[in-house]
Amino acid sequence: MIPIKKGFEADIDYNYQRMYVSGMMQLISHMLKAGSQVDDVIKTEVAEMPDGFVFRMNVMPGELSLTMQKQQGALVNLTNYTDKPDLTMSFKHVTFAFLVFSFQEHTAQAYANERLIIDGDVPTSMKVVRCLNRLQTVILPKVVAKKAVKTYPDLEFIQKIQMTTKTYSQFLVNLVKER
Amino acid sequence: MANEYYEFFCPVKMVAGFKALEHIPFELSSHDASRPLIITDRGVRGVGLVDIVTKALEAADMQAIDIFDDVPPDSSMITVATIAALYREKECDSILAIGGGSVIDTAKGVNILVSEGGDDLRAYSGTGVVKSPLNPFFVIPTTAGTGSETTNVSVIKDDKTGAKVPFVSPFLLPDAAILDPRMTLSLPPKITAATGMDALTHAVESFTGLAKNPISDAYATAAMKKIVTHLPEVLKNPSDAAGRLQLAEASTMAGIAFSNSMVGMVHSLGHSVGAKCHVPHGLCMSILMPHVLEFNLSVSSENIGELLLHVAGSDVYASTPVAERPAKAIATIIALKEEMYALCELPRKLSETGSVKETDLEDIARMALDDGSMLLNPIDATFEQALSVLKKAF
Ligand SMILES: [Fe+2]
Repeated sequence: MIPIKKGFEADIDYNYQRMYVSGMMQLISHMLKAGSQVDDVIKTEVAEMPDGFVFRMNVMPGELSLTMQKQQGALVNLTNYTDKPDLTMSFKHVTFAFLVFSFQEHTAQAYANERLIIDGDVPTSMKVVRCLNRLQTVILPKVVAKKAVKTYPDLEFIQKIQMTTKTYSQFLVNLVKER
Repeated sequence: MANEYYEFFCPVKMVAGFKALEHIPFELSSHDASRPLIITDRGVRGVGLVDIVTKALEAADMQAIDIFDDVPPDSSMITVATIAALYREKECDSILAIGGGSVIDTAKGVNILVSEGGDDLRAYSGTGVVKSPLNPFFVIPTTAGTGSETTNVSVIKDDKTGAKVPFVSPFLLPDAAILDPRMTLSLPPKITAATGMDALTHAVESFTGLAKNPISDAYATAAMKKIVTHLPEVLKNPSDAAGRLQLAEASTMAGIAFSNSMVGMVHSLGHSVGAKCHVPHGLCMSILMPHVLEFNLSVSSENIGELLLHVAGSDVYASTPVAERPAKAIATIIALKEEMYALCELPRKLSETGSVKETDLEDIARMALDDGSMLLNPIDATFEQALSVLKKAF
């Protein structure tokens, strides 16, 4: 079992939740970039997205956000994008983003619980959701990932380890490159 | 599983029962409206359903200012703009939509333009863009299935790009849904059966999906009971007005349920079969529902088991051990399909539709994964799993 249980966030200061969500958004955007370069499943999904496609995940009213664009077959982070993205996933409150990023509620459940508004082209939204699910199954330990996604895939331990290593390595390579 | 959080919303007034249409003049005047535009399609007008409404209006010294009867089967932005221009030219002040899903979606789009202004509907596309109440809007469904009279969504085709553009806002909901048995009395048996199965699927998927909640469950289960009881009755006796009314009510109740709890993989697969092979939506639902329930069994057997009470009745439910209820519920739905095949030859398999080829199944499975309804299905299906469900349904 995971050491955190639902209801735990009630004791946590909103400022801390905001810091945590902000950090996780940074991490996810960098990991997603790495995943889109090396992970077969994410690569396939991204290949089917239109070139130049922009999606944003944010917390209302909008100061916390991550924005990514498909460029040359992979996803890259955008820092100063002011146009309307093709797809926006907005958490109605920072605490709902915290629930998702602390793996207490998966994305589909957050949507079912009306904590998240998805606005944009539906087929591409589904691809983005699958990329996020795949990323979580690859980068998280299995016990955590099982709670973080709706359906944990049939993934052999060895396959998972290989993909995890590949994604983390690419993440580190990107960090060094960006320095 | 108990719900940790849910929302439920349905502000639509129900005007339902015998002589419901004669309540329309009062409904209009209570919204300070007296110049309604009727939006409908040729088929509905051709069988005389619009005449019933206009006569009821005239008897109360009210008139439909104009009738637009050329809504195509796929609602389009050009049609919406044309109707909006007509509404403005004739200085109408309200809309009466008489028809099925496409007419209702078109009318929702028209109401956005005539209330918010402008000629380009695209400006209002997406979720929550329309943020204030629209003009008085009443829906008179002529099929008992889609439930569009209770949904906050309209999907309209962009004629330029061919894309289906969604509009989502609580203000799209009509002020009232008028359910009168005269409107569905002439529906042919096969369409009655298929649309009834669509409504049943809305109830079943809302009850077994990730967003189920106690209030939509109440609507869903009541709808299921009405459908399994009255659908075979009406097919045996098509002029059974009381039974027709029960089906119209059930369809609206299932609509209320799924507009709050969404649908699942039966719809993901069904939308894709419809898009690829042009099989009517209700027929796809009927064919696919038991197979998807079987697929979902591994994680939602408890909810599927509870379906038994509502589709087979309390005696059967009580005499079936808990462990056997899920399978029995699915068997009951299969038996209902068989009964409808016997009554009106409603196809039971994709191959029986004559429109689906086995070679289409891979494309359909691929499309289904990208359908929004998959998001709230209890299981995320892989391509292989979706294909295997389709093969079983073939
Ligand atoms: Fe449906």
